[in-house]
Formats: sequence, structure tokens, C-alpha cells
Amino acid sequence: MEVEMEITQRTEDCTSEIESTKAVDNDDLSLEQGEIIIEEISRNHKLLHRHKLKQNEISIGRNYQNDIILTDPHICPKHLSLKHSQGIWHLSDNNSVNGTLLENNLHKRQNAHQQVINDGDVITLGKSQLRVLFNDHQVSDTIAFSPFESLIDLIRHPIAVFISVTLFMLIAGNIAYLNQQVETNISQLFVSAFSMSLLFSLWPAGVALVSHLTKNEPRILAQFGISFVFFILMWFSDLLEEIVAFNSASSSVLGLLIALLPIMLAVSLFWLNSYIGFHMSAKRRIIVALSITALLFGGTYLLQYSKKREFNPHPNYNATIMAPVFLIAPSNSVDHFIKQSNDLFEQASKAALDED
Amino acid sequence: MKAFFTLVFIFLTSTTFASEQAEEIFAQLTPSLYQIKLIDKASGEKSSIGSGFQISKDGIIATNYHVISSYARHPEKYRIEYLDHRGKMAEVALVSVDVINDLALVKRRVEGEMPYFQLSDQKPIKGEKLFALGNPHDLGMIVVPGTYNGLKKESFNERIHFTGSINSGMSGGPVVNKSEKVVGINVATSGNQIGFLVPHDKLVTLFNNYNKTAPANIKQQMAEQLLANQNKLMKALLNNTWQSKELAGKAMIPIIEVPFIRCWGDSNADKTDALILAAIANCSLDENTYLSSHFFTGSVEIEFRYMQAKNLSDNKFYHLYQQQIARAGAGNRAGKNDVSEYQCHHDLVAPSSTANTNKAINNKSIFCTRAYKDFSGLFDVLYLGASVDKNQQALVSHFTIAGVSQENAMAFTGKFMEAVSWK
Repeated sequence: MEVEMEITQRTEDCTSEIESTKAVDNDDLSLEQGEIIIEEISRNHKLLHRHKLKQNEISIGRNYQNDIILTDPHICPKHLSLKHSQGIWHLSDNNSVNGTLLENNLHKRQNAHQQVINDGDVITLGKSQLRVLFNDHQVSDTIAFSPFESLIDLIRHPIAVFISVTLFMLIAGNIAYLNQQVETNISQLFVSAFSMSLLFSLWPAGVALVSHLTKNEPRILAQFGISFVFFILMWFSDLLEEIVAFNSASSSVLGLLIALLPIMLAVSLFWLNSYIGFHMSAKRRIIVALSITALLFGGTYLLQYSKKREFNPHPNYNATIMAPVFLIAPSNSVDHFIKQSNDLFEQASKAALDED
Repeated sequence: MKAFFTLVFIFLTSTTFASEQAEEIFAQLTPSLYQIKLIDKASGEKSSIGSGFQISKDGIIATNYHVISSYARHPEKYRIEYLDHRGKMAEVALVSVDVINDLALVKRRVEGEMPYFQLSDQKPIKGEKLFALGNPHDLGMIVVPGTYNGLKKESFNERIHFTGSINSGMSGGPVVNKSEKVVGINVATSGNQIGFLVPHDKLVTLFNNYNKTAPANIKQQMAEQLLANQNKLMKALLNNTWQSKELAGKAMIPIIEVPFIRCWGDSNADKTDALILAAIANCSLDENTYLSSHFFTGSVEIEFRYMQAKNLSDNKFYHLYQQQIARAGAGNRAGKNDVSEYQCHHDLVAPSSTANTNKAINNKSIFCTRAYKDFSGLFDVLYLGASVDKNQQALVSHFTIAGVSQENAMAFTGKFMEAVSWK
């Protein structure tokens, strides 16, 4: 109640001030008709509304007589007015309670009263922001469709989405089958594959939801299509990693390189997710994709690291074995193996000394 | 399955009855029998107790290594005390150990000549009546009568098989014959009137060596003994016949023909719902060397596992097979302060088989080793070979050796890898 009272009082203040300023305004009328574009923008400079006005005087405020009516309670009923004379727009604050600020490339937030408005200036009144543009404002270059666009169009086709989800379920079912120690039936496998794909659907659904909430187009099918294609690719990279681990000795460089593949895939997925779901600059998109990847892999690493015991009494070795079809590399001789193993003794002795 | 022996420890159960006659006979030995206590310096309380007996007039007392092992490993943390039949307590010094035969010599201060146990100069004969002595409680000496049953078969380091209930707390106590001469030292029990003794000649050797030159450093003495023992063991393993034997009619595996390595078999042929048929042969050395309650060494384990898929795709068979080999562990117990972490290496290896040249095997081979911190030059090693050349069959060959030198470990590994093949 108290707050409301206060507001009413302030309103009266503002109104009284306006009466006095109006008299001054009437003095210089210009012959030339002004044209101005006023954009209501959100705090992070997202466009909310756009007004294009062809008149020499524009009033902005909370009451319904204004040319631009704002609902922000911190704005006075007749907050400010813009006036055009001799090709120049002036701003006058009608002695508002919370004042008006002007921001542009040259000046950071200054009192706006009696200032000249330039193209691109942002006026802050109450908690709202308005951007002023003139009709000769330079717009950025047209962005051509990227090659991704046609790829995304293909992937987001309902049939394509259906195929990739089905493929994903087949793979999930196969993994469940391989891991079962006892005999399994189809329905068990189907249930586990289905729940797996449901779980993985949370990611594209979440991204679509966030882009919807941030006033972007959700493009849910495209998000699903892209995400599942990448889930499948990641499974293939796992398989590839396994084949490399199986075929190479522990000192192999290829094994290290192949470990980067899932990270690269993750970056690409997050990049495409943000490309589909959000409007942002190319640089920002790369930063977003990289940071989500760092968060994911760094988090996983931290989790593993925190679980690591101080001393592991068990050997930690790579026991990857696969069916003979995947065996590509030639085998070494016992002598070679013994020679390689001999180096371990030195390492172990060194480790024993270091830990002391 | 495996026979495990519990070391006779410490904790006190008193069910022993000494025959009155025996007690009378050995009453005169009582002053030479002690309770040996390990006192934790910080708390001032005892952390373990056992028995001991004096073997020289100048105050040398024999006991088990495992009774004083905590002191041998961490001399700064403990002190050793004796408690005699009159309740007198005093500190003693550790002067020599035989870690392989679980013996230790400590020395007390003496004023004047003291009675002591005579060590026998001959072995007992089978069936001979013996008396195990100990001083586990503050009650004084107890006597347990029993029978000599010869040396334990299949043992690498000799132990006397004694039929009689050796009690906890009697560890380190002497076993004497009718003429009051020491023929063994209480060391372990496997329950049900089966006890094990260290033959007295080990003590004689230790005592004579001590009289010749007292060891300067106990840790170094232990290292030398461990090194010498593994050399002896590995020489026996490498130089004896490796008999090539069939496993499940499909694979050829080596069986080392030495009595102290004993083999056992198992399979899951009775489990009709198992997806994989498995046959396992397991050979091991039934004894190990006690270094401390969390650190054992000297064990040898060898395992072969043949697997055959039953109605499985190749991929699934290999997937389950991988789970079987993913968690091989150490054969002995050791902690952070005793050993480094394992260092491992893996590769694809096709040994040129010595057993069956035209049916060679292609393995994924894994070798891991960890080094001992206090005994440099000794390692625990682990080898695991998994065949990867048959779609529906697999052969796992695996061994662990604890406390071995690099040279012996690699000689064994090489010979082992080449002795495994398909049939």
C-alpha cells in the first residue's frame, strides 16, 4: 500500500513538471518532418518492439497519451520527449523521478536531459531501455546460408530424425546385449534401448527449451536430428578407440590421438546446437561450444580424479580385446615384449623412490 | 580347495592343558622361557605378544620373526620387552632375523650365568613324542604334548608337521624332546591338532651365523635373505621340467613339476545356463613369506582358463571374455608404504611355441610390475595373456610372482609365454 501511495505521489510530481516544460517546447517548431525508429530492447539488447515514427515530437511515458507507451513502473507517466528541429533530435527529460540516461559509443551513461540524440544511442529510463535509430542507419551485411543449413535441413527431416533415433536405439540395444551376463530376450533389450534414447533425448529437448525461453526459435526436430546423429558418431568413435587400443601397444601415439576424437565431436555438436538454437556471433558460438565441452570433459575428469585413491594396490592396465575380425596389427615376438617390459622395472623402482 | 595356514598369533585363548607329569619334567626350563612383548612407544601398551626361549648363557633369546615384525619394519615406533616367569620385565635388542624361516634373535642383559635351552643335534624320528612350550599368559609356562609327523610334504621352506594343539600366543616357543632338547620352534597352526614348527637346524644356522658376524642392519639382512630365497625358488622353477599338459582337450599349458607347486582344477560344466563354458587350472605355491601384517611376499600363482562360447556371437563372447580378464590383481598383500603402484605394458604377442610349434597362439599380453620400497631389487610381477585368434574359444594364461628380481621375473615370463599354445 505504501509503495502505491508513493508512486501516486511521484506521478503527481511528474505531471506538474510536464506542464511547465510544454510551454518551452512549443517555441521552436520545425518545418522539416522528422523520421525516427525507436526500439524497445531488453537489458541484454534483445529487440522487444520496434516503432517507426514520422513526427517532430515524440512523447514517451507510462500514460496512454504518449506516442510510445511503456509499462515499467519506474517510468513517469510523461517521462520524456524527443523533439526534431533542423535535422537534429533533442531529448528533454520532463523532470522524471528516476531520471533518464543516454549511452552511446562515445559516452558511457550520462544524464540525457537536453542532449542531442545520435544514431544508435540507447536511452535508459526507469529499468527499460530504448535504442534510437535513424532511417539511414547502416545495417550489417546479409549472411548467406551456410553449407550447414542444407545439412541441417536434411537431418531435421522427420524421416531422418526417425532413422537416427532408431539407429541409436539399435546401438543402445546392442550394447545392452553385449553387457548381459545371462541370456536375454528382445523385450528386455528394447526397454533398455528405449530408456537409453529417452535419457539422451533430454539434451536436445533441453537445448530447444532454452532457446524457446530466450525468445529464439526452438527448432526441436533439428536439435533432435543433429544430437542423435552425433550420439551415433560418438559411439563410432568409441568403437574406433577400442579397435586402436586393441591393435596397438601401450606406448602408441595413435591411441592418444584417437582420444581427442570424442572431444572434437562434442565441440561440433555443441556448436551446431547453438547454431540451430540461438542467434549469436560466430566468435561467441565457438566460445560457448568450447566452454560446454570443457565443462563436460573437465567435470568428468575432476570426478574421476576425486575418486582416485591415494594408493592403488591393483594394476591398472588396458585389457581391450575384440573378436579376431578387428585384429589388424601384426603381433610382436616374445623377445620384443620382454624388452619392452624390462623398462617397467626401472619405472617402478623410480616410483618407489619418489613416493618415499 | 586351497589350504591356508593361519600364523599362530598373539591373541589369547586358553584351552590348553598341560599334563602334570610334563610340567614337572620341564619345571627347570621355566626360567629360560619368556613372553615376548612388542610395546607401542607412543601409547605405552603392548601391541602384540608371543613366546621366546633363551639359547645361550649370555642372553640370546630365540623367537618368531612375526612376533617382532612390527619392530623390524618400524624400529622407531616400538620397543621389545620380555617378561620372565617371575614377572620381571626388561627391554631387549633385536640382533638378527631369518625372515624366510620366521625366526628372530633378541638379546637381554644378564647378570651372571643363566640356564638356557640346549638345541638338539639330531632330527626327531617319526612318531616321537614332543612337547611344545610357550608362555602366552602371565600364568607362566604351558606345555602341550604332541607327536612329530615328519617334514611337511610339498613345502619349499621346510616345516615340521606336529600333531598337537599349538596355541595362539605360543608363537616363538620351543618344542623339545624327552631329553629337553629343542627340535623345533612353534610357528603356525592350521587347526584341528595340526601344527607347524620351524626345524631346529634353521635356528642353529641362524645362531651360528650370528656368532660369526652379527648383522649390521636388520633391513639389509632381510633384503639379502629375500633376494637369496627368490633366487633359490626361481632356480627351482626354471630348471625343473615344465610338463606340457592339455587343458579341456584344446590347449597346451605348462605344469611345473616341483612338489611345492600344487595344482587344482575347476569348471562350470554343471551350469547349463552359463553362456561360456570355462575350465580352469590353478597352480600355486602354498606358502608365502610374512613381512608384516599387511605385507606378504614370496607367493607364486599360475592360472589357466579355457573358455568356449555357447550360442554366442563372436562380439558378445569377446565382450564377456574381456570382463573376465579386466581385473587381475596382485597375488600378495602389500600397502602404500611397502610397494610402488603397478606399472603396466601391453602388446600383441605371438610366441613361437616350444610345446606345439604349428598351433601357436596369438595373445594380447599384459605385464605389470611394482617395486619394493625397503628391499630394492625386488618386485611383484603380474602377467596376463589372452588369446585373440579364435572366434569362439579363448585361453587365458596368467601368473603372479611376489618378491622376485627383474632377471628371474623376465626369464620366467619368457619361458611361460612360449610354453602356452593351442593343441
